[in-house]
Amino acid sequence: MSMSNMRREAVPERANRLGIAGIEFIEYATSRPQALGQVLETIGFRPVARHRSREVTLYRQGDLNLVVNAHPDDARVGALVDGPPTISAVAFRVRDALMAHSRCLELGAWDSPSHVRAMELHIPGIRGPGGSRFYFVDRWNEFSIFDIDFCPIPTVDPKPPALAAMSYFGLVQYVGAGRSADWLAYYAELFDFAEIPQSLRFGILPKGTLLRSPCDRFLWQLVEPDPQMDEQDAPETLQRIGLGTPDVPAAVRLLKGRGVEFVESSRLHPEDRGALTRAVLGSVSFELVHRDIAASSALSLPEFGETP
Amino acid sequence: MQLLERFGMDTITLAGPLEAKLDAMAGAGFSQVMVNARDVVGHPGGVEAAVNAVRASGLRPTGFQVLRDFEGLSGHLHGYKVDIAKAMLQMCHALGSRVLLACSSTSRHATDDSDALARDLRKLAMLALPLGIQVAYEGLSWGRVIHEYTSAWDVVCRADCPNLGIGIDSFHIFAAKTSLDPIEALDPAKIFLVQLSDFMWQDIPTFEDRMMTARTFRVFPGEGVHSEELADLVLRLDAIGYRGDYSFEVFNDDYQQIPLPAVAQRARRSALWLRDGVLHEPAPLPIRNASQR
Repeated sequence: MSMSNMRREAVPERANRLGIAGIEFIEYATSRPQALGQVLETIGFRPVARHRSREVTLYRQGDLNLVVNAHPDDARVGALVDGPPTISAVAFRVRDALMAHSRCLELGAWDSPSHVRAMELHIPGIRGPGGSRFYFVDRWNEFSIFDIDFCPIPTVDPKPPALAAMSYFGLVQYVGAGRSADWLAYYAELFDFAEIPQSLRFGILPKGTLLRSPCDRFLWQLVEPDPQMDEQDAPETLQRIGLGTPDVPAAVRLLKGRGVEFVESSRLHPEDRGALTRAVLGSVSFELVHRDIAASSALSLPEFGETP
Repeated sequence: MQLLERFGMDTITLAGPLEAKLDAMAGAGFSQVMVNARDVVGHPGGVEAAVNAVRASGLRPTGFQVLRDFEGLSGHLHGYKVDIAKAMLQMCHALGSRVLLACSSTSRHATDDSDALARDLRKLAMLALPLGIQVAYEGLSWGRVIHEYTSAWDVVCRADCPNLGIGIDSFHIFAAKTSLDPIEALDPAKIFLVQLSDFMWQDIPTFEDRMMTARTFRVFPGEGVHSEELADLVLRLDAIGYRGDYSFEVFNDDYQQIPLPAVAQRARRSALWLRDGVLHEPAPLPIRNASQR
């Protein structure tokens, strides 16, 4: 049964008090922007614009916006000298950015300082896990924030198509030991994310706690350290990006042809459900996940209470 | 010297510079320390030097204290307290402490509406959450609305946030003469801190007397007149499955003017009584024979 059919019936709407409607962009912070840019280009991202006042480049493919922040004054970049790139921000599309920001502060989020220069947009944000930030963007329908703060790179297609019809599927966040319940409460309180039953899993790394965004356009995976394998006090980070694609094997073939290497072991290897790229630059990997439908649509998840 | 794993001292008990306090605690065999904010901000080298001193001592922070009068305020008073809370959370985080102690409000400007108290504590827990900090909410025996661990527990349940729990302080239980029976109904996983101390007289009925005694004349467990009740408290916590830390929160003017190692040895004697005499091996109490086992 498709979701559109289910919605003909009286299924109660889930709360979405911020009016979250997907991911506008994801930001990496790095002190080595060229090296990261090369990696992103193998995945299909193309540099399309540069920030007017900061050392920040917008990469894009299809509906996926990815920002590379190498601005030396940014503390998050400064902390990374010679270190691996990190996912430093996720910007959510919301109904009203000011309202979303105010509501989160009222509920106990930490405000994130802005570095706006003259004629640039103030994008309100809050602090996320580790040194990361969550931004709220409400100007994504009629025009783009990137039209104002960024200058297009000449002669480059500003909207390159996505490879293998890829879309943002979700984020993987590493959390501390025993911290999943905390972060679940945090995301439920601030963003109306809701836990997905353990019986419903995606991709090839079905660990941890899986949350769905209230718009059903992306997922959020919380992964605790393995008691046997991992350092228990490792920092909490936004670890990697999940990319949805309708045909994982085809996407894997395409990306391999572009030089992307995949994790291939007896335990973990590309299959129909998903695949994991081998980490490069010390930290950067992408997870491909099978996704039936187009990027702009909702994920095909069962409604609450329905047995998957 | 053998480390006393589950027991720790509080920096407020000892006089002198932070490093001397930490040395005395470690010297008496303790492995953890409850850090008072004044010892951090009052360090001559600043907060960073205080943080370095705690880290260099090898003592694990039991927690960081104390945030006062946070809940129940509105308007600019609430905003002010949020700023204070954030500053304390940042210090708590810098110290590597996983617990912030927040005491129930004594402010006459605070509301008595339970939903508002719960909402504010939930907000405090949200502020603490990204930093990996748990908030232990303690009912002060002179709190305006919440002055017992039972009512503190009710508000914590109402707030319903995984990193918000209660802090239990034996002083306030004995001062308010709260029954120990409701301990059975507590979730041990939501007891984030237990502070132990006693005092040397039976009754302190008024809030003013409680405050005065609490701030000047607490003694270590086993040194006061409630040793039986204190042993009972610890055994009841043990029986419901509490396996967390015990910190000695002993404000005492006399202990502020005798050598630090002497005070630390008194704390050690207290810890050994609790560890060997109450929790593990039956043994006579140092002052009153009140072992429950």
